[in-house]
Amino acid sequence: MSKVASDHEQLNKLHDHIIRETVHVAMKKVCAEWGSPPAPFAFFLMGSGGRFEQSIWSDQDHGIIYDGNDDECQSYFLELGKEITHGLAVVDYELCDGYVMASYPLWCQSISSWQQQIKQWLQEARWESLRHFSTFFDSRVVIGREAYLKTLKETAFSLLKSQPHLYIRLVENVAFIQKGIGVFGQLLPETRGEQAGTIKLKQTTFFPYVNALRLLALKNDVFLPSTLSRFKLLENNYPTIGRYRPYFQELLDFRLRFCKHARSYKQVHVVHKHALSKEGRQQLKVLMKNGYSLFSETKSIVEKECSLW
Amino acid sequence: MEQVLMDNLWVIIGTFLVLLMQGGFILLEAGSTRMKNAGHIAGKTIFTVGIGSLVFWAVGWGFIYGEGNGFIGLTDFFFGDSSFSGEGLSPAVDFMFQMMFALIALTIAFGGFAERAKLSAYVIFAVLFSAFIYPVVAHWIWGSGWLADHGKQDFAGSTVVHLTGAMAALAATIILKPRIGKYNKDGSSNDLAGHNQVYTALGVLLLWVGWFGFNGGSTFEVADAFFGFAILNTQLAAAAGAVAAMFVAWALTGKADVPTTLNGALAGLVAITAPAGFVEPWAAVVIGIIGGIIVVYSMKLFDKAKIDDPIFALSVHGTVGVWGTIANGLFAVPAYSVEIGWGLPGLFYGGGFTQLGVQIMGVVASGVYAFVVSFIILKVMDKVMGGLRVTEEEEIVGLDLSEHGSYGYPENIPHPDDRKGA
Repeated sequence: MSKVASDHEQLNKLHDHIIRETVHVAMKKVCAEWGSPPAPFAFFLMGSGGRFEQSIWSDQDHGIIYDGNDDECQSYFLELGKEITHGLAVVDYELCDGYVMASYPLWCQSISSWQQQIKQWLQEARWESLRHFSTFFDSRVVIGREAYLKTLKETAFSLLKSQPHLYIRLVENVAFIQKGIGVFGQLLPETRGEQAGTIKLKQTTFFPYVNALRLLALKNDVFLPSTLSRFKLLENNYPTIGRYRPYFQELLDFRLRFCKHARSYKQVHVVHKHALSKEGRQQLKVLMKNGYSLFSETKSIVEKECSLW
Repeated sequence: MEQVLMDNLWVIIGTFLVLLMQGGFILLEAGSTRMKNAGHIAGKTIFTVGIGSLVFWAVGWGFIYGEGNGFIGLTDFFFGDSSFSGEGLSPAVDFMFQMMFALIALTIAFGGFAERAKLSAYVIFAVLFSAFIYPVVAHWIWGSGWLADHGKQDFAGSTVVHLTGAMAALAATIILKPRIGKYNKDGSSNDLAGHNQVYTALGVLLLWVGWFGFNGGSTFEVADAFFGFAILNTQLAAAAGAVAAMFVAWALTGKADVPTTLNGALAGLVAITAPAGFVEPWAAVVIGIIGGIIVVYSMKLFDKAKIDDPIFALSVHGTVGVWGTIANGLFAVPAYSVEIGWGLPGLFYGGGFTQLGVQIMGVVASGVYAFVVSFIILKVMDKVMGGLRVTEEEEIVGLDLSEHGSYGYPENIPHPDDRKGA
């Protein structure tokens, strides 16, 4: 791990490798106890893993899509999900506290059930439903049939196009951004508890970039989950948005630089104010400000495009 | 009605308002602490008001206003004067009004005891504080004590009531040590949030209204309706304190913290208590703003020093009490000071540094006396009583149960005899 800790791409390739190996071990175990899979399937990652944006520590966000009947297949794949979850926990991928894992029925379904699920999330358009949908959408297959996930994303694009007001709801769903910079231009660290003095990189800095590019990806039928890939695909359509890509790349490097000594998943998303040099603080403020501007521009773009419909 | 009777009536209305401030403290303190201690906080306030009243009647009044020396009064114990000369306040009205101030100082002192002190510690300290700490400082400034001779200005008690109470609270806080779970091993501090911000806000509002009696009643008469002016200054300072504290909290942390805003309003009130009848309204606004700002930094400073102050008594009443007293030395105008024979104007009104010096001397002398004597008394109590603090188990279960045997919110606590269903 230490060899790739400062190279974002190599680090994520290593994560993929470890996860694939773990899933293979889990599959072997379930095959030995339950027999071969009753249907073809795809195991996919979501969250930072789905976006190819994991840091040196990461948690689990994953699901399974299978091409078969729920009654006949679900118990098998849930067992596989449990085995994968257990295996990943053994190799130190923290359990997802939101239960976004293939061991739970919500994240382990047949193609048709998944399609219904996506439809239901978008129809309900409640806070939690849209959070689930956004989580699902930042996804990629690491083992199995990629076409299954593509089909589900196509379903989502089609539903959104038929109800454009949902784009606005999706913007609203992520519009709250935790402030990282105060009115005097100072960084705003946590003031209480064991994390007092630390700055939450994920909430204050990453989210505006990630959420903005997800919104534009949904609007433009972009299947790729990685924020950098989304930037590259979308910058022709939105030249002003493209200006922010170097900042996001810088942010990924910044996190690796300052969090490489983190000893747990909890520590990997925070940086202590005192660990930053004057230049480091300045750099972080620039990254935050650009994230806020990017999100604000994205919001205007989505609102403007939706008003034309 | 004759004006003299109206004077008496006005001061007794002020008395009622100041007593009602105890209700404000009950809500403020209960809301600012955890649910398991709510009944205890409410109950101890009532019974310490009882103890304080009896002690003030027996010796407190005599130590303040009795004939004696520059340090203490030594006559008029066990007050029972029913006379009325037809001039000024009747002794009984004056006595009642003064008693309420002593009780407020006592309740402020107990802010430093919150959530961890034994009930017996409250009982004993209520007696000793009401006899030997508050009356001495009150005698120095409001009686015929040595600070009064210097022209020390304290309209309604920024020093006498608030600073004295806060210094006792500081001594208690240091001896009692932080509550379980307040500080982590790495030195960082946890937020042991109060259980009801609505209670806290209502407490502040009740105190705010009561403060009109506190400051307005301290005119002791209705002549020229000057009480209206003191109340105007009080309102402006409280408003400015609330706004300033909320702005500072927002600017520093990005969040408009509610408890900080509430403490800002109280800071404005504490700050204007000494200058309410000495300064112009614009100065009241400035005094309130500065009170609202320094209370925020003071709260941070005490937290950093690992002095656990559950209801922020040290900052609101102590730090800001000092500021309010010193503010007189800056903003007191000639018309309300030298021209009425109460000290000199402040630095900004041609009074030079004389009044400012007197104010600072008053703060230092009163603060040191209240702290040192409280510390000694509490240390002795600590030894004699085998500790001022409840056991770890009692603190965890909460003082409602450990000290009183019943919860303030009984319906929220599962009981083995509870029956489910019809």
